[in-house]
Amino acid sequence: MGKRCGLAAEHRVSAAVSRVDKNHPSEEWIATLRQRLPCEAELDRILTRKLRRRAGPPFASVRLETLVAGVDALLRSELGDDFTISAASWLSGGASKLQMAFTLQWHRPRLGPTTSRMVLRMEPSESITETSRLREYQIIKACAGVVPLPEVHWVDADGSFLPYPAIIYGFVEGTPKPSASSSGVSGVGTFFPPAMRGALGAQFAEQLGRIHAFDWRASQLSAFDKPRPGFDAVTWDLNHWERVWEEDVNEDVPLIRLAFAWLRANMPPVDHVSVVHGDYRTGNFLFTEHDQRITAWLDWEMAYLGDRHGDLAWAVKSLLGGMAEDGKTFLVGGLMPRQEFFAAYERASGLPVIPKVLDYYDIFGTLKIVAICIASGYRAARNGKTHQDVLVAWLTGISYSLLEDLRVKLEAVL
Amino acid sequence: MELRPALALDSVIKAMTDVVLPAVDPHNKLAQEQARLVIGVLGLMAKRLPLLYRFERDELSRVLILAAHLDGQAARLPAVQDAAQPLRTAVASAQDVLDRARAEPAELEAANFELRTHISALVSALYTHADEATRKSLGATVTAHAKEQLLRERAWHVSQGWESDAASLPSIESLLP
Repeated sequence: MGKRCGLAAEHRVSAAVSRVDKNHPSEEWIATLRQRLPCEAELDRILTRKLRRRAGPPFASVRLETLVAGVDALLRSELGDDFTISAASWLSGGASKLQMAFTLQWHRPRLGPTTSRMVLRMEPSESITETSRLREYQIIKACAGVVPLPEVHWVDADGSFLPYPAIIYGFVEGTPKPSASSSGVSGVGTFFPPAMRGALGAQFAEQLGRIHAFDWRASQLSAFDKPRPGFDAVTWDLNHWERVWEEDVNEDVPLIRLAFAWLRANMPPVDHVSVVHGDYRTGNFLFTEHDQRITAWLDWEMAYLGDRHGDLAWAVKSLLGGMAEDGKTFLVGGLMPRQEFFAAYERASGLPVIPKVLDYYDIFGTLKIVAICIASGYRAARNGKTHQDVLVAWLTGISYSLLEDLRVKLEAVL
Repeated sequence: MELRPALALDSVIKAMTDVVLPAVDPHNKLAQEQARLVIGVLGLMAKRLPLLYRFERDELSRVLILAAHLDGQAARLPAVQDAAQPLRTAVASAQDVLDRARAEPAELEAANFELRTHISALVSALYTHADEATRKSLGATVTAHAKEQLLRERAWHVSQGWESDAASLPSIESLLP
C-alpha cells in the first residue's frame, strides 16, 4: 500500500499541537522514555527495537515457502544438514503472532531418527504485545516438569534466519475449547459443558498454584531481571506498561493516567517472587477431551517474575469467564466458582490469596488489556505492522467496556 | 474513539489484498473481479474520505454562487417567481449551513487530541503532587467525565458485541446533540 489515509489528519494534529510523531520516533524521544521509565533489560531492548523499526515498512505478507526456508536455515545452524521439513501449514492463533505447523524428520540427540510435529511461532513487524522470544523460550524451558508444556527446541531471538524473531516448539495434541463449544476471539467466552468443568477446573487452579510455588532461582533465566521481594517487580511492571502506553497511545485517556497514578501511589510489596504466566486463562491451555486432561499451557510471552496476584486477578476476570446455568454463579475461566478456585489454588501453592492485593492487580490487569487493545492495537494497525490489522483494529472497540470496568473499580478505591 | 474510518478502511483493504484475494478461486472470474472491485472502491474511499467535508463545503459554496446568478436573472421575469421563491428560501438555509461549517473534522479531532494530551499530563502531575483531599476531588472529576464519555464510546461500538447488557445502553443517536 502507498500512503495511508490516516496520515493527513495526523499531520494536521502534529502541526497544531506539535505532538511527538510516534510513527517516526526520534532517538531523543526514545532515550527520554528509556530514562524516565526504566524496565527490565530484555524488555527495554524489545521496546527500543520496536520504536527504532517503526518508521520502516509495514508488515509484508509472508508465504509458507519463506517460513520453511527460514526454518531450514535456522535448523542447519543447529543440526547440520541431516533433517527434512515437510507438511507445512498455517495454524490459526491469537491476534499477536503468526504460527506454522510442520513435520521434522531429524536425528534427535540420544533418541536417534525421529519424526516430530513442530510449531513455528513468529512475530509480525510490530505486535499488539511486543514481547521477547528469548524470554518465552527460557521461561518454558524453566517450567518444564512444573506444568504440562510444549517442548521448546530452538529460538531465533533476533530474526537472523526468519523474517522476524521466532520460536520453534513441539506440537502438542489437544484443543483449546470443547468441540461442541463456541468462543470469541482468542478463546474468550469459551463455554464448557458442566461434565467437563470439574476435572479441568481442578487442574486449572492446581497448576497455577504449582507455577507460583515453583522455585525459579536455579533456572536459566538470563533474559529476566531478578526482583527482590518488595517493590522491584511491581515498579518494573508499572514502568513497562506506562512505557507501552507512552510509546503507542494515539488519543490519550485521562482515566488511564489517573489509574497509573493510583497504581504508583498504592503499590503492594511482593511477599513472594513467583513466575507469573501473564495471560493465564481459558484459551491458553490445550486439553484432550476423552480424558479431560490439560496437555499444555501456551502463550508465555508476557511471563515475568513478580506477584502471583497478577495471574490470579487476570484468571478471574469476568471477561475471561462465564456464568453457570443458574445465571448467578460466575465461573472462573468458565470452569469453577471463584471461591472454589481460590481455595484450590491456596491448597496447591501454599500461598495465600490476599484480597487487597488482588484488587490492586485487578485494576492493573484491566489497564494492561486496555493498553494492548487501544494503544498498541491502534499503533500496530495504523502502521500496517501485523498479519491481521483488521482484527487488531476491530479489537480497539473492546477497550471502552473495559475502560468502564476500570472506571467502576477505580471509583471503589479512590 | 480509535476505530475511525481511516484506520478501519486501511486495515480492511490490507486484509482483502494480503489474505482474501489470494484465497479467491482463480477460476471464479466473477468472484475475482468483485474482490478486486471491493479493494478498488475501498481504496478510493480511503483516499478521498479526508477531503469529503471540504468537497461538500466547496460544492455548496459554488452552488450558492450559481443560485445567486440565477436569482438575478429570474428577478426580471414574474412568470418564474413560483420557481424562484423556493430557491431563495433554500439559499437562505444553505447559506446558514455554510456559515456554520467552519472547522474541518480533522481540526476537531486535533483539538480533542490536544486537550486530551494536556489534560492527561495534568492529571498525572496533580495526583503525584496533591494532598489526599485534592486527589479525591481529582478522582471524582476524572471518573465523572469518563462515565459520560465512555457511555458514548460504548454505544458507538455496541454492534461489535462486547457489552454484556447491550440493551441497557442508550442509542448513540440519543446521546449526541
